[in-house]
Amino acid sequence: MEVQRVDYVRVPVTDMEAANHFYGELLGLERNPNSPGDDWVEYEAGNVTLAVMTPHTHEYEFTALPPATIAFRVTDVEEAKAKLESAGLEVNEVWDSGACKGAGVSDPAGNRILLHRRYAPYPDGTTP
Amino acid sequence: MADGIDAQRVDFIAVPVEDRDRAARFYEDALGLARNPNSTDTWVEFETGNVTLALVDPKTAGQEFVPLPFGSIVLRVPDVDVARAKLQEAGVEVVGETWDSGVCNGAVFKDSKGKGLCVHRRYAPYADGTQP
Repeated sequence: MEVQRVDYVRVPVTDMEAANHFYGELLGLERNPNSPGDDWVEYEAGNVTLAVMTPHTHEYEFTALPPATIAFRVTDVEEAKAKLESAGLEVNEVWDSGACKGAGVSDPAGNRILLHRRYAPYPDGTTP
Repeated sequence: MADGIDAQRVDFIAVPVEDRDRAARFYEDALGLARNPNSTDTWVEFETGNVTLALVDPKTAGQEFVPLPFGSIVLRVPDVDVARAKLQEAGVEVVGETWDSGVCNGAVFKDSKGKGLCVHRRYAPYADGTQP
């Protein structure tokens, strides 16, 4: 089977208004003008589209994504955490794997997303 | 926060798996994805063209396995019917009929536990005339 790319990742939510605020304003993602409707809004996350949508208007029940399914690249994890906290969100402590840093935060529907930055170069010397 | 935290891109999508080796064979053999050479024994990544999929065993982080929700990761293929047939040949269960929204078609298929993956093709041009 030939997979060419990921067209989108579905982000199930329960309240579109709260989700639009989170993904559009707090994360600063660009809303795709081709979004088909108010209950399916697409955001561009640089390399992949996120389809923020409500399962209950698409004939199935909401289940949150498993923890840290989506790792968003930010310039600086501590800075991103501070900005989100100043907007009233609770962000987990920053972890450091030795190659990258991360901190978890919940979107309004309870999807646990990850603020992420790799700071170590890859074995071939390139850096993200 | 006019521009928010400036999330630049998605570094990876974590796919929860119960058996990383078995899952890696599925992603490599059935889906035909390329394993990222930067993968290690404990962190396995596959490239899809635009975004990285990381196969993560939640047990290693002390968490319970929960599969991705329905249709989470939508893979672009040249032809959904062809992909569907190939998946079935490889013994993968495809869930239900191929749907057609009027602009795109797709089919959800099962990995070992969940229905988190989907093959998809948009055939209609976007409003601005461009095509996927």
